Amino acid sequence: MHLIQRMKIWKELRRLEQRAREQPAPTTFVDLGQVYLNLEMQDKAERIAEDGLALFPKSPELRQLLECARRGIRNKRAAELRAKVTRAPSPKLYRELAGVLVDLGDSASLHSTCQEWGTRFPDDAGCWLVLGQARLVSFYRDLASREGLEAVRCLDRAVQMEPSNVEARRLLGELLYRIGAVRAAEQHLVQLQAVDLADEEVAALLRHVATLSDHGDDLEALLDDVESHGSLRHASLAAAPRGGGDESMARVRDGLAQVAAMPGVVKATFIRGSKALVKGAIRDGKDPFLRVARVVAKAAHRFARRLDIGSANKTIVEGPFGDICVCVYGEALAAAQCAAGADLVQVMAELQEIVAGALHLAEK
Amino acid sequence: MSKIHEAVAELRTAKGVKGAAVLTMDGLVAAASLEASLIADVLAGLSSYLLMTTNKSLKEGGMGGCARLTLHATNGKAVFVDLTDAYLVVMFDQFADIAAATKQIDEVAVRIRRASRLS
Repeated sequence: MHLIQRMKIWKELRRLEQRAREQPAPTTFVDLGQVYLNLEMQDKAERIAEDGLALFPKSPELRQLLECARRGIRNKRAAELRAKVTRAPSPKLYRELAGVLVDLGDSASLHSTCQEWGTRFPDDAGCWLVLGQARLVSFYRDLASREGLEAVRCLDRAVQMEPSNVEARRLLGELLYRIGAVRAAEQHLVQLQAVDLADEEVAALLRHVATLSDHGDDLEALLDDVESHGSLRHASLAAAPRGGGDESMARVRDGLAQVAAMPGVVKATFIRGSKALVKGAIRDGKDPFLRVARVVAKAAHRFARRLDIGSANKTIVEGPFGDICVCVYGEALAAAQCAAGADLVQVMAELQEIVAGALHLAEK
Repeated sequence: MSKIHEAVAELRTAKGVKGAAVLTMDGLVAAASLEASLIADVLAGLSSYLLMTTNKSLKEGGMGGCARLTLHATNGKAVFVDLTDAYLVVMFDQFADIAAATKQIDEVAVRIRRASRLS
């Protein structure tokens, strides 16, 4: 690129960056990200999109920009890995490349890569596992019988080549019980348990499968049945009704009530994903306190990560409204708005208890 | 050395403080005294992002502005104090007792406000 042209672009970038800081709007962030994309600086475009989404989380343009930037990063990574594979092929490199191609959704390249991987390393079951996973994603999305059969074939091949391959056996077992081949699934899960007797997840899966009705071993017929009905025969373990979640939320609710009852606390909330529990003087879901808690948690997290000081767990914002205490661990967030005179140390300790308790129960 | 620089440098002597700086809301460094691992421009940019984001959400909710923000992270802590059009940022290590340094930070903030008015 011509020097003057480069200088012009850098000047434009500086102008847009300043505009994004002074007058943040989705279009400003998108314009800035687009310039970075044109310069093939996808990592910077990704950062811009993330910063924009922290301010405007519902903006479809910013989501599109983020997707585009990430796709560009993955394409770059795929090209690098492809060059490495050509120079010095190894199963590890093939696995990494296949992973990137799965993320890109480039099924044609994935199939050719796996074919090449299988030809060069015929004793490695990895290519069959990756192919099986890709087919499985398509099957769970479209419930097309053909994709299901291919998934079973690939995973079965991976299990035969490497009977101790836990991932392949687990995926195969799950697919089989969900389409109704419960007895066949049980055989795989029992073998999976033999590999690691202490695996609680497999034990829970076996208990869940034992409660389901078997519909035979004719996989083709079972898969056709799923396709024609448009639904899987049995629910997954995660979707099956459990008591743990209720217990977890009950504890959170009690914890929040305790915080809201503390002297000086005006309102309190617990947020996980798109769900929020609230206590105190909160009008509705549009209460600004809820938005402030989310925004502050996200911005503090980004500040700490970028500055390399780890994860931001606790933040206190002071202003004419009083104090807003935010405590975050992982995806669980608890926050409280306090008036003057509240014991912030105590409030923060209680919020931490709520978040830690919720995480502990979620991990059980 | 100007009074603002002096005040910022003085904060460095407090226990657990890794650096202090006066930053404008648009990410410019007015004065800084930071240890080598902290880069002034990076700190300014990230602080600007954090404070502008926080202030924007507060103002949109009709809650006014942010007078002070305290952040505890796994490997460090930070305090931001509003100076009107600028912020005093103090970075601590993770073991520092922020409560013990609050009085000194407040005093320095008052001195900086006074110095900036006079200048």
